[in-house]
Amino acid sequence: MEQDLEKLRSSAAEDIAAVSDSRQLEAFRIAYLGRNGRLSALMKQLGTVAQEDRPRLGKLANTVRSELEKLFSDKIVSLAGQAVRAERPDLSLPGRRTVNGRVHPVTQVMEEICSVFAHMGFSIAEGPDIELDYYNFEALNIPAHHPARDMHDTFYIGESTLLRTHTSPMQARVMEKQQPPLRVIAPGKVYRCDSDITHTPMFQQVEGMLVDKHISFADLKGVLTVSLQKIFEKELAVRFRPSFFPFTEPSAEVDIECVICGSEGCRVCKRTGWIEILGSGMIDPEVFKMVDYDPEVYSGFAFGMGVERITMLKYGIDDLRLFYENDLRFLSQF
Amino acid sequence: MKFTYNWLQNYVDLDRLTPEKLADELTMVGLEVDSISHLYEKLSTLKTGRVLAVQPHPNADKLTLCRVSIGDQTLQIVCGAANVREGLCVVVALPGTTLPGGFKIKKAKVRGVESQGMLCSERELGLSDDHTGIMELAADVEAGQVFIDAYGLRDTQIEVDLTPNRPDCASVIGIAREVAAILGKRIKVPFRGAVLRETSTSFAVEVENPELCPRYAARLITDVKIGPSPPWLRKRLLAVGQRPINNIVDVTNFVMLEFGQPLHAFDFDNLADRKIVVRTPRPDETTFTTLDKVERKLDDDMLMICDGKEPVAVGGVMGGLYSEVTAKTTRVLLESAYFDPVSIRKTARTLNLSTDASYRFERGVDPDGTIDAMERAVTLMCEVSGGAAEAGGIDIKVGHRPLTLQLRASRTSEMLGVEFTPERLKELLESIEIVCDVRDDDTLDVHVPSFRVDLEREADLFEEISRLYGFNNIPVTLPDVSISYPQQDQQRLKRVSAVTIMTGAGFSEAINYSFVSSRYDDILKLVENDWRRSHVRLLNPLTEDQDVMRTSLLPGLLENVRRNLNFQQTSCRLFEVGKIFIDNQGAPLPDEPMRIAGVLTGNRHGDHAPLYFKQQDVDIHDAVGAVETLLREMRILGDRIRITVADTGLTEPFCETDCALAVFHDDKQIGSIGKLKGGILLELGIKRTVYYFDLDFSALAAIEPTPKHFTRLPVYPSVKRDIALVVPAAIASGDLVKTVLASGEKLVEQCELFDIYQGEKIAQGSKSVALGITYRSDSRTLTEKHVEKAHAKVVKLLADTYGGALREE
Repeated sequence: MEQDLEKLRSSAAEDIAAVSDSRQLEAFRIAYLGRNGRLSALMKQLGTVAQEDRPRLGKLANTVRSELEKLFSDKIVSLAGQAVRAERPDLSLPGRRTVNGRVHPVTQVMEEICSVFAHMGFSIAEGPDIELDYYNFEALNIPAHHPARDMHDTFYIGESTLLRTHTSPMQARVMEKQQPPLRVIAPGKVYRCDSDITHTPMFQQVEGMLVDKHISFADLKGVLTVSLQKIFEKELAVRFRPSFFPFTEPSAEVDIECVICGSEGCRVCKRTGWIEILGSGMIDPEVFKMVDYDPEVYSGFAFGMGVERITMLKYGIDDLRLFYENDLRFLSQF
Repeated sequence: MKFTYNWLQNYVDLDRLTPEKLADELTMVGLEVDSISHLYEKLSTLKTGRVLAVQPHPNADKLTLCRVSIGDQTLQIVCGAANVREGLCVVVALPGTTLPGGFKIKKAKVRGVESQGMLCSERELGLSDDHTGIMELAADVEAGQVFIDAYGLRDTQIEVDLTPNRPDCASVIGIAREVAAILGKRIKVPFRGAVLRETSTSFAVEVENPELCPRYAARLITDVKIGPSPPWLRKRLLAVGQRPINNIVDVTNFVMLEFGQPLHAFDFDNLADRKIVVRTPRPDETTFTTLDKVERKLDDDMLMICDGKEPVAVGGVMGGLYSEVTAKTTRVLLESAYFDPVSIRKTARTLNLSTDASYRFERGVDPDGTIDAMERAVTLMCEVSGGAAEAGGIDIKVGHRPLTLQLRASRTSEMLGVEFTPERLKELLESIEIVCDVRDDDTLDVHVPSFRVDLEREADLFEEISRLYGFNNIPVTLPDVSISYPQQDQQRLKRVSAVTIMTGAGFSEAINYSFVSSRYDDILKLVENDWRRSHVRLLNPLTEDQDVMRTSLLPGLLENVRRNLNFQQTSCRLFEVGKIFIDNQGAPLPDEPMRIAGVLTGNRHGDHAPLYFKQQDVDIHDAVGAVETLLREMRILGDRIRITVADTGLTEPFCETDCALAVFHDDKQIGSIGKLKGGILLELGIKRTVYYFDLDFSALAAIEPTPKHFTRLPVYPSVKRDIALVVPAAIASGDLVKTVLASGEKLVEQCELFDIYQGEKIAQGSKSVALGITYRSDSRTLTEKHVEKAHAKVVKLLADTYGGALREE
């Protein structure tokens, strides 16, 4: 018995040394330590040895068992170590990325603009792209044969229907439905019958309006200054200049300091240091009358900005036409 | 509107303000300066010279050899002009100069004799068409001066982009008035408040349509000698880009630019019956030839200026060819009138003829400025043509009522956010010649001057006040408004989130024009009564390629695919969410439903992952997966949505018939998924396989999303059983899953397809479909026995339904 245990001990030591993978190790475990393994077989014989030898042999058998278990567990660790060494990753490789698409830059900037105004409590309304002459012109104090119609190269659909030339028709549409006070922006596509390096026949605008009691031109300046600074994420200088829109009085063009050259003077700002960024003004009393608001009680302002232009300035894009070619080399940059 | 710095200086003292500063100031009062150009800078190297001696050229008959002094040196110059002579003051171009026509002066030998420069003609300098000889300067001009200074050409042209409400500034005097207000000065004008003292009897004027012509004045000038204008007049016109014509026409143009009042000069001897009749055309007067030699079709409401017989001018737009002033003219009838703006605009539009005159009339000239401008022109015409004006004239007018507006200081303050007193308002308005009386402690009576046709209401005065006070002096405040929660447009929110979902699924967002070519209807093989052929058409498309509003997003996306493939992007996943436009017979406006569509081609894993992923082209399942992802993330992928193989009638005509799916919501088809026909792609210039999906986004957005509701996590373990079933190849594998889920066996929790095999080991015409079925109970741990029982039932059901056999391993 004692010799058998010694033999077991030495043959186990030999066998474990030959083990080189987990399958062999499992075979080793079954052969030596398994329920019907060699050690179990010897342990079963323990009952047949002389009474006086039993404690000594029992102790020896247990020692052998723990030695075998140690051999076994050491081998697990050493095999695992080998495995790790064999499968060490090449850390210089690029990561395995998932393929993601990109949101169109104009949509990105449109959403940023909407979010700036939404944070100031403006709701967002959308209207039809194909519009009635009434909303696009008449309700905005631009009657037929008004010279201001020259400012719009209009695509016509029928005698009284057209592709909206601006998002301003939403002023009339919103005010017709809602009573003041109101704070609304209206983003959307607009169309002009004009196509060259600086004009695409379709582009996107955001219209906005705020109507309440006691709204002043100073408030217009405040809201637009804050919004432009948020949209461009910069405390930039903003300048208001008198202009003309038939649906606002007074009307103001709004310029920002040139973000391309930092007002040093460049091609984009025509060396003036200023860039025209939006049109605005106090809503004309004629527009209020069309929607039955009392211009003696309410006042308000409206504004409209071109999203492509803002996108170009924000990202330094110098060719408007890229926006509607949907070239992935372009889209994937944003 | 173009003017020059020196010209402006005639009416207001500019106080040495630089042109750049002047431009800034104008821009800030609402006269946006478009450009500032320093005139004749290209001629600044030219010198004045004096011909000291002239002798014949030794080798050429027509050339002369001149010795010309340019002050500090004397040059030898070969000249070919006949008028060159000793003592003549000339313009000398030195070597290195480039003349306006692009001609570069070099030191050169002309027929063997060196010429150290060139003596220039007016045409060579771009000053006139005169090329009969070299330009002759006044005899007292000193040699050696810079030519453009000596000749008074140095000036700065300023162009203002006028807004339609300011016709008063379509004149140098109008601009001067604004500048005077900026500088706190007064303007001086050549005529103000002139009146006609006598009525002429040498001609007659009849106005048949006073509503279209509220004022018509004319004077006769005799003994006119037509010729070129004097240099000062030519220089003024050239400096603002107008071509001098002759002394009479140049005066009409000059005074129009000066006063803003268009004028017209007729050759009096060509006017039948010595008479002007202002009227609409007679029925037989259907065409008229304008002085640009174009025969134009007349409408019966166009206002014509006629003589005793026939039309001689289109009133306020353009004169006629047969009554214009020519070299032979000796008597001129000068017209100064006020025409109805709307009538002029309609006429100009109909004739597609916009002139400097129509531009001013349609915006509104000063109805009281008629005589001042006429008197100014008459004086100048006599001066430059040697003519004599008849003492009287004719002035026929309806008259207009002067307008007085009330301006409240309180309301102005409220509108602008600045406190004003009536006195302050008066001061501001009077700086631009708007006379005011303070009525009470809040109100001002504002007497609107006739030249400000844009001031009609109190609101118009708010604008004047804000402008004159200075936009940049108005404070910047935030409005005091009450809190309210902004309304949310649900469809918009869903659209924004769909964009995020699709980019997460690997698609980039495209935005295409809303108009497309109607050609696509045929290319996509749409049948005759396909709803997508009901286009909204543009009446005036820019090009034939954009003649209709789109009824599908696919043409745009396919165009994008073609472009990207051409630029070597071999993998391409694009989507667009946007409106289509459907003609809605009868309704005032078309329907504008929103759709979402996508296209896929090339490598499933994109172009840049060959290391980890094998080249695997996208297939129909990627397209279906994209749709399922969208629907799942929108939380509407449920029982009511079905994606099924399209029945024959529902297959899109542009889709391969064996690879077409239809998407239903209940019984309504809301979209399709498929593989585009190869022939169509080739026609579009795409040589790859392209899959697409196209869904009605408005319909998707209208579906109520499944509410988020918690389900308790299972307590007991599940048991998974895999089976492989051999069934006829024609059976839709997806149906097996549906059968298992619909088996009614309560323990079935989930069923997934994990393999489909066709090949050697399987009989021809059959396939092996492997399913993994998960069993679970929510009340106990399942025993082997329970699972076996349930599984046996499911297997039997499958075998019975599909006639299949369990596949032997």
